[in-house]
Amino acid sequence: MASSPDLARLADDVLMRLIAMRRQDALDTLYARYNRLVFGLALHMLHHDHAAAEEVTLDVFVSVWQHASTYRPDKAQVTTWLTTLARHRCIDRLRALRVRPEGYLADLAQLDQTAIQDAAAMDAEWLVQRERVQTALQDLPAEQRQVLFLAYYQGLSQSEMAEALGLPLGTVKTRIRLAMQKLRTLLESEI
Amino acid sequence: MGFPVEQQHVTDLLPAYSLGALDEPDATRVERHLAVCSSCQAELAQYRRVRDRIALAAPLVEPSPHLHRRLVERIAAEPQTPAGPVRQSRWQRFVEFSRRAAPVWTPLSLLLIAGLLIANLWLWRSVPPAPILAAVPLTGTAAAPQAYGFVTAAPDSATGTLVAQELPPLDPSHQYQLWLIRDGQRTSGGVFSVSPEGFGTLSIQAPQPLFSYDAFGITVEPAGGSPGPTGDRVLGGQL
Repeated sequence: MASSPDLARLADDVLMRLIAMRRQDALDTLYARYNRLVFGLALHMLHHDHAAAEEVTLDVFVSVWQHASTYRPDKAQVTTWLTTLARHRCIDRLRALRVRPEGYLADLAQLDQTAIQDAAAMDAEWLVQRERVQTALQDLPAEQRQVLFLAYYQGLSQSEMAEALGLPLGTVKTRIRLAMQKLRTLLESEI
Repeated sequence: MGFPVEQQHVTDLLPAYSLGALDEPDATRVERHLAVCSSCQAELAQYRRVRDRIALAAPLVEPSPHLHRRLVERIAAEPQTPAGPVRQSRWQRFVEFSRRAAPVWTPLSLLLIAGLLIANLWLWRSVPPAPILAAVPLTGTAAAPQAYGFVTAAPDSATGTLVAQELPPLDPSHQYQLWLIRDGQRTSGGVFSVSPEGFGTLSIQAPQPLFSYDAFGITVEPAGGSPGPTGDRVLGGQL
């Protein structure tokens, strides 16, 4: 990866400013730092379709190149910007192809086993943040985590979830609300 | 109870709304309420921050090394102009559009101007002359030798317009600032950004008539402007 060692020490938002000035080495550095985050997210959302996840990853980083000047550090972290772009592109794809959530549901059990993986080169503070989120999600009851993930990773509405899970709509509504309220309490110190 | 539906808090619906999971008609109800309730807006902002963290639960997976090469190829195919401050006002967008449409409107406007001149000559015979706009040319300094522009206003007016061309685009944290100079005193005339092509305009509201100043100067300043000039002077004009 052609990423200069000096740039590798720069904070994400500084890299974004350099990208806005058309420094391709800054984009390479951001890519080296977060390609696994974006690709991993897309792969998870798109039911392990590698080709589709690569397209999404490519689109996300091309968007960064095109729109870096519109990034506002006071509005969101760079990682949030990247994951939001990736999530919207994945949900668009899932909807366009009318992908059913059953395959994803089978996958969820596996995700619960996911441990933090090798993540050298990623921002240490960010990794701590990631670990906290994973711990908090593990603290939710499995049925609450399930609806939360269906909404976030598959873009399902509450009524679509009720149908996919064979549950009354009211149950889904309650689970979503409780899940988000609990997660908010668990992450209170950092949001 | 007795309140219109927009005024009832939507606290319980905000978690699902933040995830985009709310069905109709609840989603519309939330939107209507958010438009008038700052406490629910603040609550929603918190849930959105929680939502954004959920992305971190997905496993990190290394893509194929070819993907970086494809990214480099895609970038190479993109236009090379810097993606500078492109947040333009409606007026700037209009001016940009006009510039692009120049091949069409230039001959048309020449015809129109000729027509108006004839009409004017005819009117002059019956009406006392009205004040016309004057303009002060601005030229680029060593920091921006290509740049040029002008300030235009009616002779005794404190309001006018600045038009600048070929200024270097700035990163989003900087803007250009106009200074109105008299007896060595510099008063801010406002800040403006330029398009990627270096074109910018500014509507000036000066404390005194514009042509009562000695000179105009334009410098690079942090976005939003400075109390006094701090950056490079890029354009200037004497009266």
